[in-house]
Amino acid sequence: MDSHLPAGPKDKSEVGKPSRATQLFIVWKKLRKSKLSVVGFGIVLFISMAALLAPIIAPYDPEWTGRARRPPSMEHVFGTDGRGRDMLSLVMYGARVSIFIGLATVAIELILGVAIGMIAGYFGGMIDEILMRITDVVLTLPTMMMLIVAISMFSVRGVHVIILVMGLLGWPFLARVVRSEFLSIRETTFVEAARSMGATSWRIIMRHILPNILSSVIVIATMDIPWYIFYEATLTFLGFGDPQSASWGVLLQLGYPKMQHSWWIITFPGLALLFTSLGFNLFGDGLRNALDVKVRE
Amino acid sequence: MNETLLNVNDLKTYFFIAEGAVKAVDSVHLKIGVGEVLGLVGESGCGKSTMALSIMRLIRHPGKIVGGEIWFEGENLLSKSEGEMRKIRGGKISMIFQNPMSSMNPVFTVGSQIAEAIKLHQDAQKHEVREKVVEILGKVGIPSPSERVKDYPHEYSGGMLQRAMIAMALSCNPKLLIADEPTTNLDVTIQAQILELMRTVRKEFDASILLIGHDFGVISELCDKVAVMYGGKLVEHADLATIFKEAKHPYTQALLESIPRLDVETERLRIIPGSVPQLINPHPGCRFCPRCEYAKEICSKEDPPLIEVGQGHSAACFLYGSIDKPNHQRK
Repeated sequence: MDSHLPAGPKDKSEVGKPSRATQLFIVWKKLRKSKLSVVGFGIVLFISMAALLAPIIAPYDPEWTGRARRPPSMEHVFGTDGRGRDMLSLVMYGARVSIFIGLATVAIELILGVAIGMIAGYFGGMIDEILMRITDVVLTLPTMMMLIVAISMFSVRGVHVIILVMGLLGWPFLARVVRSEFLSIRETTFVEAARSMGATSWRIIMRHILPNILSSVIVIATMDIPWYIFYEATLTFLGFGDPQSASWGVLLQLGYPKMQHSWWIITFPGLALLFTSLGFNLFGDGLRNALDVKVRE
Repeated sequence: MNETLLNVNDLKTYFFIAEGAVKAVDSVHLKIGVGEVLGLVGESGCGKSTMALSIMRLIRHPGKIVGGEIWFEGENLLSKSEGEMRKIRGGKISMIFQNPMSSMNPVFTVGSQIAEAIKLHQDAQKHEVREKVVEILGKVGIPSPSERVKDYPHEYSGGMLQRAMIAMALSCNPKLLIADEPTTNLDVTIQAQILELMRTVRKEFDASILLIGHDFGVISELCDKVAVMYGGKLVEHADLATIFKEAKHPYTQALLESIPRLDVETERLRIIPGSVPQLINPHPGCRFCPRCEYAKEICSKEDPPLIEVGQGHSAACFLYGSIDKPNHQRK
């Protein structure tokens, strides 16, 4: 009802210039324009909350066992698995592991990709040549095979090893984007102007160029999170994962042999993966528009 | 006369590209006195901007300063380290550019960028810096500066941004302000305002100005002295009045005749036939020779030196001076 009232005189605090908090609000306002990105944001938020609050809101402890392979019911919304554990609780705890894997890998990718891309793009010349050839080599490696080979080389099967290897292989695309943005922005007049005011290279890179490309970096990072979750799930499903962790990939692997008579064991972790990927991608797409200063509300 | 602030001596800046060396600035001499405004005129591609960037030592690969000296306040800028140069840039010499719309970083507020410039060169408390930014924005004629400091560059108009750029350039009280075609991308009314502002700046901040432009109208508004460049060479150097009354070099003459004037009746404006010379491996003679109507045999073989042709007036042309004087006649 209230929303139908004509907009009254604005609160006097609105008259001033946007502070940091209201700038976030502007991004949100722009994001809200696209229904799909709101849905994406909702899914991301929902899954993150489920993961964060799992110890509080999960109906059972993940180690709790009851009767095995019960179909979904009021008691066990997602049914129980082959060992009698509650699937809903497992999926919620699995979200913690899977999302952690996604975020941690993206963190490694960001550090490597941004650093290598910006050094190559800003300094150019020989440095650029060397760094970009290394990037090309890493980019041509078939990711899945390299992951399997690399992970097999380690004697420890741990989530950390998988994160490290995925991060070490995942940066080239980001590095290329960062490099090309640096190449174009370092030629702009405002960089020249900053130089003419006596700014150091470091200052120009960190303060004048990096903030200008942050939106592309954030979008790529957002879209890459589900990729890494997927890669880990695939690896685990193929048997190269860490069976001690309870990621969605492990749940899929455990449920696969029982697929014919207990469909719920594999379906719910699979759907969780699907929706996470969908959510991050829709959200990332919306962010691309919302973070662009040049796109007015 | 007053003392010299900047003395560019025999400066050579070349760009090394695959086809050879582009001699963008070739043996140029220039002098700016304290408090003086020098106009550097020439058509596109004659090396004006390269000249400015050379003084700031901002020439980047594949360009290189290959010879000469740049004396500023008794010190040779070419023998300074990069760190020492950074202190001078924005501190003692600062620069404004021709396209104000892209001279500011779009993701930071105008105020924070000017504040950054101040913080780079001065030790000041946060609130002092803020006050200074507001004060200087007010000085360059930004209305309600305490509000507008918080605006982003895209919320300013082109003229206001150029004012803000001037404010940034002046924020550390530079001795020399290099203005690289500051009014080129602005419409005529704003141009006039910016020129007016530059005139006040000159009085109030007591800075020398190197004004680069191709528009004699703009130059004549502001400058005490004029230097004319052609094809990477300095061809004439004199007082503003002298240039307008008795330009000696054929290029300067032609350039002046190509300006529309209200006081002289002409059917058509003069055009200079031909185009700007290639600066890659230029021929040994005078750069203007192929387009010059007084060209003599010697002009295509030898490079004319800059010689004194009057009181504080020099020109680089074989028509004058002692060396094999050709007859001063039109063909």
